[in-house]
Order: sequence, then C-alpha cells, then structure tokens
Amino acid sequence: MLSVTTRAALAAALLVAVAVGSAVTRAQDAATPASVLTPKQQARAEKQALKQASRDARNERRADAEREELLQVFVAEPFLELRTGPGRGYPVTHVVIRDESVDVLFRRTDYFKVRTDNGIEGWANARDMMRTLLADGSRFTLDLGDRAGYQTHRWELGAMVGDFDGANLVSTFGAFSINDNLKVEISGSQYIGDQRSGYMIEAGAIHVFAPEWRLSPYITIGGGLFRVDKDAQRPNLVDRTDQSAYAGIGARFYLTRRFFLRGEYKERVIFTSRNDNEELREWKVGLAFFF
Amino acid sequence: MESRSRVLFLTRSVAIAALACFGLSGCAALKWPWWGKKADDADQVITAEQAEVDDALDAPPRVIDPEVERREIKRPKIDTENWEVGGYYGFLSVEDFGTNPSYGVKAAYHVTEDFFFEANVGRTKLGLTSFELLNPGSDPLNLGNERRLTYYSLSFGYNFLPGEVFIGRNLAMNSAFYVMGGVGSTKFAQDQKFTLNFGAGYRVLPTDWLTVHIDVQDRVFESDIFGTNKLTNNLEARLGVTVFF
Repeated sequence: MLSVTTRAALAAALLVAVAVGSAVTRAQDAATPASVLTPKQQARAEKQALKQASRDARNERRADAEREELLQVFVAEPFLELRTGPGRGYPVTHVVIRDESVDVLFRRTDYFKVRTDNGIEGWANARDMMRTLLADGSRFTLDLGDRAGYQTHRWELGAMVGDFDGANLVSTFGAFSINDNLKVEISGSQYIGDQRSGYMIEAGAIHVFAPEWRLSPYITIGGGLFRVDKDAQRPNLVDRTDQSAYAGIGARFYLTRRFFLRGEYKERVIFTSRNDNEELREWKVGLAFFF
Repeated sequence: MESRSRVLFLTRSVAIAALACFGLSGCAALKWPWWGKKADDADQVITAEQAEVDDALDAPPRVIDPEVERREIKRPKIDTENWEVGGYYGFLSVEDFGTNPSYGVKAAYHVTEDFFFEANVGRTKLGLTSFELLNPGSDPLNLGNERRLTYYSLSFGYNFLPGEVFIGRNLAMNSAFYVMGGVGSTKFAQDQKFTLNFGAGYRVLPTDWLTVHIDVQDRVFESDIFGTNKLTNNLEARLGVTVFF
C-alpha cells in the first residue's frame, strides 16, 4: 500500500508542478502584450489565468482520483473538520462546508485521511465521516470498533501470559472468525521455567457460546507441536519435538473500543516418544483486539 | 334645474361605476389581444377532440413516470494503514556484560488513536564480564563463541502528548510520546529468561507513512548466571525507522 501512497504523493507533486507551470505560462502568455494592456487589464488577465489554472488542477485531481478509484463523500452536516493528524490532539486546520465533497485516501485507526476539491488534505474523525453521504445519496457506512464489532468481526490478535505446569508462559494468538460463534486460531507460546523451557505452535477451533454477551464463555480444542529446549530432569533428551492436543474452556470480556480480555484454562496431552504421554495444565489471561 | 342636476348625477354615477368596474377589476378585465378569441375556441376544440380520442382508446390515467436513473457508484475499498513495520539500532546494556550495539525488527498494530500493540525481536552481543577482563582468556561461564543475546517482547503502548514539531518555517511533522510495557523472553548463555519490559519513546512522522522513533526500554529478568538469583535491569536505547502500511 506504501507504493500507492507514494504514487499518490508523486502524482500530487506532479500535478502541483503542472498546475504551477501552466499558471506561469498562462500568466506569461497573458503578459506578453503587456505594453498594450493597461495595468487593470493585465491584473484581470492574470487573475483569469490563475483561476483557469486552479480549475485545470481541480479537474486533473478529479480525474486522478477517479483513476485511483478513491471514494468520494459529500458533507451533509454544516461542516466537516479536518485535522493535521490522526488523533484528537492534533489541531483542526480546515473545515469542509456542507455539500462539498472530499476524496477518502486511506484510514488509520478511527481517522480518515481525505482530500478536498482544492487539494487540501487532512484527517477526519470516523464519527464525523459517518454523517457524510455517498454520491448516490446513501450514508457512508464504516466499521467502527464498538460492541457490535465485538460480536461480529473477522480478525483477532492478542497476547497472553500465564502458567504452564509451573513455568511462566508467554503466548500470542491470531484468530479468524468463520461466523460469530466459530473461530479458528493459530497460537505461538513460549514456556520458561526453572525445570523446563520450550515453545509450542498450535492451531485450534474456538466455539463462543454467546458472542452477543459482554462476558462470553467459550470452549476450544486443537493441537500442534510441542518443543522442549531445556529439561532439567531429562538433560539428554533426544526427541525434543512432539505432537500435542488440547481442550480448554475460557471466557472473553469486552472492554471498550476494539479491546477485549481473554482468559482460559487448558488440559494438554503431549504424545511423547517415551512410554507414557504427558498431561500438562495451563492457564493464561491476556489482552486482545479485533479488526 | 332639478332634472338637469339629476341627469348630471346619474351620468356621473354611471361614469364612476364604469370606472370602478374597469379599474378595480384589474388587468384581468382586459383580455389582450381581444381579437384572439377565435384561437381559444380552436384550442378548446382540439382538447375536446383529444379527450374523445383518449376516451376512445380507453387509455389508463396518466401518471408521472420518473425516468430518473439512480447514479450507480463504485465503492472502492478504503485502505487501512494501521500496521507499522520497521527496524531499529541502538545500545543494550546487559547487567554484568557491558553495553553493546543492539539491533532488531518491530511490528506494531495501532488499534485506536491512543493504543497500540508492538512486537520486538532483537539481538546483541555480550561483552566481557569483570572476571574475564581481569583474567584474559578465561571463560568461567562456558560461553565459548556463543556470546549472542536474543530477546523478544510483546508490548502494549499508549500514545500521549500528540502534537507537531516544526522545523523551519514551512515544515511541520506530527509527533507523539508513548509509553509501553509488556512481556517476553531473553535468551543468552543457553538459557531462556522470562522478561518484563517497559519504557517510553518519541515518534515523529516526516510523512504519513514514515516514522522515526527514539525510545528507551528497560528489560527486567531474573538471572542466576552467577550462582545466586538476582533481578537484573537491562536498559536499551534505540533509534528506529518504520513504515505504515
């Protein structure tokens, strides 16, 4: 996406150059018969040339926006505030008045970078953008990180800490929602203890019972690889990577915006190459977000 | 005399009545052109004929048919640029092992304008301990050539004091201070250590997609490498460059 941004920046720079260039040439063209024109006429000619240049630039920007396929939205409230940066702490430097349009360049968190017809760029808040209209008159809808999003979303990412059979556990996960209830997740965990250290890479499925509840319980099953890097009791361990399977229960709690807490307890079986399989318990809590 | 005045009065009243009729009725009294009556009659005849034809065809009642085509618009997907990926270079002071250059990569996801998650993976080389310095050639920890330290951390950050920095008259860049803390692990001397990290930094954005960071992190872990368990603070100062996508 960087390339598109860069391209946009380059295109904008080029346009400005072209606009300035054409303005200058026009001004020069108009100024050639300066000897015959009165100062008043000359001023008028220059003014017209500048106007024409800005019109040209606007048309080119519009054409450019269409080429880039930018979304155009129309301000329906008295005005739309544009800030210098994506946050409430950045000052408002421009307003776009009702019925004027802006092109939406991209989004960062809850702010949209937009460009006005005059080429002025700024950041508009998502809540303000929700009150704008599309060219067909319909409302501009967007995904706002809220309680509804907690119930229905596509991706989740998070980090958790806890205890794995007496060792410290650091874990990170990414989950994809098949529907509101069912998710598939991939997790990577590292356990660090005095006796044993190693890591686990696993994939599993999560069933959330009531995704519409703020505190929603879930069950999970899955499996993966279990790796031992250090084992004080078995220093000469040969086969250090084994398969594992787990089942667990947990709950998720919606905090605010895009954040939720997650806590779970898992029973894990390690299918070792030794005579007996290992059964290990794990609990962990963590913070996650959805998008 | 009497009859004459009556006549005069009557003529006047007639005149006044005529004037009143003419004047008060306004322009509507004047049909202009007054010779165009025949055309009106012709129109009426035509409409009458039309009505007869319509009746004859038994046409449905006329309604306005709005032949307005709704403008079809494409809704291009809006690009979201919440990911930030880049690298850094700095110095990490490892307790008892001196300060050495460190480098690493980081990836951050900005969830809201205030909060972000960040993952770091970094590496440095361990310096010589005091014992090794005093006894050149000794290797009491059996490190050999394995003097590498690798760490990772998963942090949660908060942006505060967002603002702008001004360089010269024409250049303003967005900036923010941030604090962050998290968990992770540090691996050195063939051992993993559960590590807590916390720190603060300053971020400047020369463009919308490029950022420059300066930050300081403290990585805290328990170490028993010298026989006794002790909590060590390992400070890292670093300069990073990341891009948003």
